[in-house]
Amino acid sequence: MSSIASFDHVALERGDRSIFRDLSLEIPDGKITAIMGPSGCGKTTLLRLLGRQLQPSAGHITLFDQNLRDLSPAQILAVRRRIGVLFQNGALFSDLNVFDNVAFPLREHTRLSERHIRDLVLIRLHMVGLRGARSLMPNELSGGMARRVALARAIVLDPEIILYDEPFAGQDPISMGVLCELIAQINKVLGICSVVVSHDIHETSMISDHIYIISEGKIVANGTPGELRNTANPLVRQFVAGEADGPIPFHYPGQDFWQDLDINRGTLCSK
Amino acid sequence: MQQIGKLGRTGIAFTQSLGQSALLLWMALTAPPDRLSREFRRLVTQLYFIGVNSVLIVMLSGLFIGMVLALQGHTVLSRFGAVEALGQLVSLTLLRELGPVVAGLLFAGRAGSAITAELGFMKATEQLSALEMMGVDPLAHVLRPRFLAGLISMPILAQIFNAVAISSAWLVSTELLGIDSGSFWANMQQVVDFREDVVNGIIKAVVFGFVITWVALHEGYTAAPNTEGINRSTTRSVVIASLSVLALDFILTALMFGE
Repeated sequence: MSSIASFDHVALERGDRSIFRDLSLEIPDGKITAIMGPSGCGKTTLLRLLGRQLQPSAGHITLFDQNLRDLSPAQILAVRRRIGVLFQNGALFSDLNVFDNVAFPLREHTRLSERHIRDLVLIRLHMVGLRGARSLMPNELSGGMARRVALARAIVLDPEIILYDEPFAGQDPISMGVLCELIAQINKVLGICSVVVSHDIHETSMISDHIYIISEGKIVANGTPGELRNTANPLVRQFVAGEADGPIPFHYPGQDFWQDLDINRGTLCSK
Repeated sequence: MQQIGKLGRTGIAFTQSLGQSALLLWMALTAPPDRLSREFRRLVTQLYFIGVNSVLIVMLSGLFIGMVLALQGHTVLSRFGAVEALGQLVSLTLLRELGPVVAGLLFAGRAGSAITAELGFMKATEQLSALEMMGVDPLAHVLRPRFLAGLISMPILAQIFNAVAISSAWLVSTELLGIDSGSFWANMQQVVDFREDVVNGIIKAVVFGFVITWVALHEGYTAAPNTEGINRSTTRSVVIASLSVLALDFILTALMFGE
């Protein structure tokens, strides 16, 4: 299967901290690929690399058969227009209502008449079930509704790839179900490629075709949701089962507990 | 030794920050323009938020400052039997100094802080990232109209301040202090020079508008994307802009009116 994007031995440092070391992965066209891993492992940073908001310190990232490093500022803007992004909290423009938020990319990048824009916006809002909420302001929406509006805005220019940044974080079970359904449906109906960054293992497994698990700056496991459920890898098992302790320790590294309390363990036991 | 090192680090950080903010402003102003109608619409929206929304506070401040100036001026001038020169004192003080400076300080507190807080909020809620990912340059779309609106609004606000303050001083002088209305205006007309006093006041206001908006934009755009970061940047924006207004006023006064 052809891949729409790929990371080839990518490394990234921020200050003294290494975020990625030798990260390689392929994102196949027409599929839902999930990037999972514990909090702070660099999942969102990976999306920022794919959108060329960050540059890797080593390695190559290819998107739409173009090496992102070689692009001029004008070419970067052109590539970004082919990408839809759903940000963690929706990132709706707070001074625009729902309709104008969804219409924003159309007004910026097309010369369509207001009548055409209206039709396209209403179709997208209908897809996410919020046609009736078109005149509400972002502060009048619940978290789930805001993400659905942001999803309508992300797909209004018919992107070729959609990047979802933690789409299920902080959602109630109904909103999570709605978002799961929408992500799967949009991928199927529009025939596009989706990249879902998340740590909600249950919901992400339900909709993804392929999952990559990142830890300590590299891919530690990858496969279909079924393959990962049956893996022997202790880190993947800890992540999938949600165990508190394991390869990712419960305790932040520090000196010995008894030493820290300044108590001699032998003396304590003899008393 | 440590103190010298600290001083050096502060100096380097200040120079870096100055260079960064100059580059930011340069990039915002030279970014490829959008369709003229859209640029104009964005500018008008910002003129409303930055300029029109500051009119009330500027007018109220002008009202009270003009009245106080008349009362204090009358107290001093009456000792020398020169109360007729009140119009002259009020107008020169306002046009040359108080108008641009007080309007600048109010503008930094009202509009500068609002610009910084808004940009910080946009950054924290990923709205600036969203623009970038939609292929829209946030510098041209968000920063440029705010900067131009600040630059245009500030001299107009300073002139509104002057007009209200002079009117309120006239009201107090004639109604409360019993000064003849004709001599109040005649004295003013006799001493106020358009080029020397009014234009220099406008130049000051333009410079203050430039600096206040520049500081506000830089602080907002570089704010840490969280509540604490926005708070800190908003405070810094008002403090830096206010001190810059006072320091620049001294320099401009020395250049314009110094012997």
